[in-house]
Amino acid sequence: MAMRGERPLGTSDAVPLRKKHWLVRVLAALLVVLFASCVIGAEVIPPAPKEFFNDYAKAISPQAARKLNDALTQFERETSNQILVAIFQKMPSDTSVEDYCQNVFRAWNPGQKDKNNGAILFVFLQDRKMRIQTGYGLEGALPDITCKRIIQDEIAPYFKKGLLDAGIATGVQAMIAATKGEYKGTGKTRNETKREKGTDFSSMIFILLFAFFVLLGRMRRAAGTSFDSSGRRSWNQGWYIPPGGGFSGGGFSGGGFSGGGGDSGGGGASGSW
Amino acid sequence: MLKIILSILGVICVAAAFLVMSVIGSYNGLVGLSQGVDAKWAQVQTVYQRRADLIPNLVATVSGAANFEKSTLTNVTEARASVGRVQLDPNKAPSDAAQLAQYQAAQGQISSALSRLLVVSENYPDLKSNTNFRDLQAQIEGTENRISVARQDFNNVVQTYNTKVKTFPAVLIAGLMGFAPKPYFQADAGSQAAPKVNFDFGKTPAN
Repeated sequence: MAMRGERPLGTSDAVPLRKKHWLVRVLAALLVVLFASCVIGAEVIPPAPKEFFNDYAKAISPQAARKLNDALTQFERETSNQILVAIFQKMPSDTSVEDYCQNVFRAWNPGQKDKNNGAILFVFLQDRKMRIQTGYGLEGALPDITCKRIIQDEIAPYFKKGLLDAGIATGVQAMIAATKGEYKGTGKTRNETKREKGTDFSSMIFILLFAFFVLLGRMRRAAGTSFDSSGRRSWNQGWYIPPGGGFSGGGFSGGGFSGGGGDSGGGGASGSW
Repeated sequence: MLKIILSILGVICVAAAFLVMSVIGSYNGLVGLSQGVDAKWAQVQTVYQRRADLIPNLVATVSGAANFEKSTLTNVTEARASVGRVQLDPNKAPSDAAQLAQYQAAQGQISSALSRLLVVSENYPDLKSNTNFRDLQAQIEGTENRISVARQDFNNVVQTYNTKVKTFPAVLIAGLMGFAPKPYFQADAGSQAAPKVNFDFGKTPAN
């Protein structure tokens, strides 16, 4: 307030100087924010995946990956347990494996909200480290001891021989075997249920929008013809075009991962090979 | 004239109602947050207790190993006993920072004694190949990790609560209603190193 009063209104050179100053300040602030975000960005958490099996390192053969992904998808249909696999080339964080896995778990939220029955098998290839992180609801079926045994006795022996596919497959099988009897599934993955509901909803919106645009087009045309006959007509025709691209997922391929909101309190075990 | 008085009264009534509503809102918010803090505190206590429960079994297993360093073992049992002397209500988050610091120091002693024991045990091959010991080690590692998560969660919710207590409008009633800021776990040098009992067990296979 005082500043505005002090500034002589008539002087012309004061304004650009002030503007420049202001711009420089904004730029500097932006730079600081950018720099800060780079520093914070030392830990990179991938966005919540769309599939159960996520090989960010491209280390597993596509056939094996598809097979495991199908198995884990089917497993959620049968038991509602959401077990994920995440294979990284390198730990994308300066913190410990435990801290990083905890953060990723809470970002992805595998497991149904009321059961917390999610688990993630993490592998960090270059660091030669892995971890099974369990949600609260699977701590009983997959206690730390079992996680440690799966890592040390099932996966690590294969990894030591360089057999990544076999190691991961055995690990996933062991996790499935351990958590099989714990909960009952609905016959569908959460993502499938969600998409079905979503399809109903979006098709309803689509129909409503379509009706709206048709109506609007008519009204416009009526108005257009009454005011000037020839010029607007062709333009008004444009309103008949329905909104394109609003209808995704028409193919409905099934499967897919969608986190149910499960939480983890740091359960599980880590190991190396 | 009457009309003016009536309308002034009306405005005052509306303002009073608004004030009462905001006080109720703040109060309920504070109660909810305070209970959230207590819940997280209970979780902290649970995981610390879980660790304490593992200790007798661990000590029994380790002392079975041929001529195991006795001083390491007594350190662990003594640290566990000293925690018993700092009694805190498990259902109510501590309000005294010094008390929490004392508790944290006692638990920190267990952490360092335990991690030392696990380091020393690396020198005993028969212990390392002992299944019981391996299981206990996995459990202790898992529990240490749970402790660090529970403490972090506790600190986060305390931070939310403290922010609310110190900001408008809750700050107006927080003092009157007895909502004081709550203390945090401090990230001291000892606790930062200790909770991660992470040994590369797999590097040198037991067989």
